[in-house]
Amino acid sequence: MNTVKTEGLTKIYGSGNTAVTALDSINIHAAEGEFVAVMGPSGCGKSTLLHLLGGLDHPTRGKVLINGQDIAEMTDDALTELRRREMGFVFQFFNLLPVLSAVENAALPIMLDGVKPDEAKVKATEWLTRFGLADRLANRPDQLSGGQQQRVAVARALVSEPKLVLADEPTGNLDTRSGDEIAALLRDVSQKYGRTVVMVSHDPRIAAYADRIIFLKDGKVIDETLLEQKNGKNAEMVAERMTKLAN
Amino acid sequence: MNLNLMLASRYLGGRKLRTFLTTLAIVFGVVILFGMNIILPSMMQAMEANMKAAAGVVDFSISSVSGDAFDPAVMSRLEGIEEISAVAPSFTRIFNLGADFLDNDPDSPDRITAIQLVGMDPDAVQTLRAFPISSGRFLQSGDTNAAVISQSLADAQLLTVGDTLTLPSVNGLTDLTLVGILPPRTLPGNEEVYTTLSAAQEMSGQPGRITSIDVNVALDAADQEGRDAVAAEIQSQLGSSYTIGALSSGTDVFAVLQMSQAILSMFGVMALFMGGFIIHNTFRTVLMERQHDIGMLRAVGASRRTILGLFIAEGLIQGVLGTIVGLALGYLLGVGILKAAEGPISAFVNIRLDNPVVSPGIVLLSIVMGIGVTVVAGILPAVRASRITPLEALRPTSAQADFERERGRGFWVGALLVLASIIMLFVGQEAMIAAGGFVFLIGLVFLAPAIVRPVTDMFSVLLGRLYAREGTGEVARGNMLRQPARVATTASASMIGLAVIVAVGAVLTSMTGTMTDVLRQNLGSDYLMVPPSIGLWANNVGASAGLAEELSAIDGVGPVATTRFAGSASDGVAISLLGIDPAIYPQVSGMAFQEGDESAYEVLAAGRAMIVNGAFLMATGAELGDTLELATPDGVQSYRIVAVAADMFNAKVTTAFISQANMAADFGRAEDVLIQLNLEEGAEAETVDTEIRAIMHDYPQFNTIAGRAYVEQMLGYLNAVFSALYFLLAFLAVPSLIAMLNTLTISVIERTREIGMLRAVGATRRQVRRMVTAEALLLAGIGTGMGLLSGLYLGYSWVVAMDAFFPMSYSFPIAGLIAGLATGLIFGALAGLIPARQAAKMDVVAALRYE
Repeated sequence: MNTVKTEGLTKIYGSGNTAVTALDSINIHAAEGEFVAVMGPSGCGKSTLLHLLGGLDHPTRGKVLINGQDIAEMTDDALTELRRREMGFVFQFFNLLPVLSAVENAALPIMLDGVKPDEAKVKATEWLTRFGLADRLANRPDQLSGGQQQRVAVARALVSEPKLVLADEPTGNLDTRSGDEIAALLRDVSQKYGRTVVMVSHDPRIAAYADRIIFLKDGKVIDETLLEQKNGKNAEMVAERMTKLAN
Repeated sequence: MNLNLMLASRYLGGRKLRTFLTTLAIVFGVVILFGMNIILPSMMQAMEANMKAAAGVVDFSISSVSGDAFDPAVMSRLEGIEEISAVAPSFTRIFNLGADFLDNDPDSPDRITAIQLVGMDPDAVQTLRAFPISSGRFLQSGDTNAAVISQSLADAQLLTVGDTLTLPSVNGLTDLTLVGILPPRTLPGNEEVYTTLSAAQEMSGQPGRITSIDVNVALDAADQEGRDAVAAEIQSQLGSSYTIGALSSGTDVFAVLQMSQAILSMFGVMALFMGGFIIHNTFRTVLMERQHDIGMLRAVGASRRTILGLFIAEGLIQGVLGTIVGLALGYLLGVGILKAAEGPISAFVNIRLDNPVVSPGIVLLSIVMGIGVTVVAGILPAVRASRITPLEALRPTSAQADFERERGRGFWVGALLVLASIIMLFVGQEAMIAAGGFVFLIGLVFLAPAIVRPVTDMFSVLLGRLYAREGTGEVARGNMLRQPARVATTASASMIGLAVIVAVGAVLTSMTGTMTDVLRQNLGSDYLMVPPSIGLWANNVGASAGLAEELSAIDGVGPVATTRFAGSASDGVAISLLGIDPAIYPQVSGMAFQEGDESAYEVLAAGRAMIVNGAFLMATGAELGDTLELATPDGVQSYRIVAVAADMFNAKVTTAFISQANMAADFGRAEDVLIQLNLEEGAEAETVDTEIRAIMHDYPQFNTIAGRAYVEQMLGYLNAVFSALYFLLAFLAVPSLIAMLNTLTISVIERTREIGMLRAVGATRRQVRRMVTAEALLLAGIGTGMGLLSGLYLGYSWVVAMDAFFPMSYSFPIAGLIAGLATGLIFGALAGLIPARQAAKMDVVAALRYE
């Protein structure tokens, strides 16, 4: 069963002469526990696709099915609840609340869902401990490094046990080593914890951590590649392919 | 803990400076509202009580038409009138004292030739009036032959408490024992000797009779309609053989007090309005700054309600905190100001300020307003916050231009309101004009966002010259234009502050101007012979025309103007008629004309015409040009209103001036009750003075006053009242200016990251400082411009609206305008100084990372 699936997904910004087609009849899917990377040059529609998958934006045409359900037909409240329970987000700029500690930030989605703060914190602590942050629980975001902040963000994305994790350039704001760590962490999220991960990235080295890569260009899917994770040369292969596709 | 409360308290705690400043805004609002309301009633109450005590004034004084003593049983007829709060009988009689009666020295002139004996029921009268005893005690109901006198009389007779004062009576000489001394007498009129009702009745040989009933009503001083209704009710209960006098000699000062009360309660409303703006503005900036966080919260599953709840929770926390601090500070400030004001005021007037009056209602109102306004001010931004889409979280920065629509619905609403207010100004009805002032202010608030661009452009030219070739002026201008709505709200807050300053300044200028004019014109004569009871002319014994002739005959005395009195009525409304000689009166005395001019005097001489005052128009409903039938002893006579004018003595008494010829013909009165005279140029002042006083010695019913000295004394008295008003004005102005500083500081904090960026791309500290200063000046310019404009309108509308109970001519407050402009701009520059330094000092890296 596919956790997420699109049918003829189209997004057009503006109208008339100034209309820009960001996405043009996209049909993609991601199975349970699969790690999918979406790649493409700047302005190809990667982020738009992710926004539509997360229900943050409305498609012009087509469908987004989450667990078989069309989210276009949902009310704002239902969508909010869906995001809270079934999806986790990881942003490029971390987007942690500056006034909350690491554990409070990680616990936020389930606290919003009405779980008692103490209980929520226990759960958040579990995730943070798994991600090696057991000794930074009480630190505020400005006391953490970029990599640590992003790990808190991943913990936050997983705390409500969602089936789907959406990551928008999660390593875009990190140095190479921290970037690799986060990418590996996301691969663990899919392999060890069985979540579906859809990640947007323009970095071949990061995308190479995925099970499958979808290439976008000018709002269209132009290629898909399955990767063998045992092969250590994936990154070079992805880069080569991308250069070829870009021309 | 509730998640909303936790997030709210974390945000408040994590942004200490911001939280402090916002809460400060709420504190100011509550301080002004609460403090002002502590000061006002206390001040009004004290002034009213003391004024009444000093002037011997009560709300109504009932006496018989004939002036004779009457049976106190009449008092029972007043029992059914609800509004009456206190009633006391009194027996008053003037005792002329024989030559050298008090000083026993034939060589020195007698300073006191008559005294007014006032018999009172000690318990009843103290429910009506305060008697600020300076030594000894007041009369008690068991006293026999006890007396209380003023310090000035005591000094003249070298008496102290326990001594005996001997006075003539129908039973021969009567000894009164002094039990208490009152402060010195400052008003014209005879010295009074207070004693018990029975003692006074016995000394006059009229046991069981009284001469007047004093009545106080439980009505606001400004509630003229209510007072008129009570007067009418009393009259109908007592019948036509009794007359009712309203406030007498203290009247003019009292009218000023009434007006101040009205103005100052407007202060409270304004303060609240301003506080609301400041708080609203702060929440707006909070929203801008936190857009990112809100978007993220939405993305991870916070519902709109959660976001709304978060903002409301923050408002609540701050509202409660600010209100508590505001109440405490307001109380301290109120008490402090009352204490501080005690000295200067009592130096001029005998005013004793009681302990501060804090009614539970005011506490409740302050709490409801403090918390309520904060929450309401927060709701609009909160609703807006809840509408932020999760997408905002995914945008790299939140610092993007926000060109809000300048001509949205708000613009048209504002334009309509301003148009309506201008129409209201021309309708000519007082209530409409007064309301128009507020409509205008609110209209400007709505129009403000649209005003930002043109005003900014205008000021930018100026700033461009100032900061040539630096580009900082341009950046500042850009910042202002980016968020016209925020700028408008900030400017609106200072606008209201300045508007109030200019408006109240206008009212005060007009008021002082008018009062001074009236005083000078009316009492500008060199000598003034006044009877004990000014305004209540019927009680006075005057002099025949012979006195005036005698005075004229003195070498060095110029024109002598006399005023005669006759009681009359028109259509049931009692009228005090004053007879003047139209040829001489204007040379010595004068009136302030509101409708018509000096030529009206000639018309008075020519036929049955009258000049009336504002109170007359109010009471009769007549207008200029109308002809009214006046009751005379021989039926009615028709008199035409040829002008409307006010004189000093009769501002609140229903008064009409007619010629003395007509008064003699129609009313048969030729008794002078008030004499005013001027000296000829080059007259030998001392010689003339001795001669005048020698003649007046035979007329002890008159008090001889050197007019110019009296005017100076009265002006000093008025100035004391006005300085108290200006003081309260400053009390409102200062917080509004501090609030401006507050808003500006917040706007700098908000742009921390942007300033970091400017520094990063090469702006020097000096440039950043200049940019922020330029912005402060622009902001101040807009606020000042709008403030002055609306202040002028408000001031004008208040002056016109007050015309009904205190006619005055509008003086354009040039001084107020200049002061307002200077204050606004200087404070704008000052307000920029602190944030500018703060911005310039900012660490670039920290600023860039600031979230």
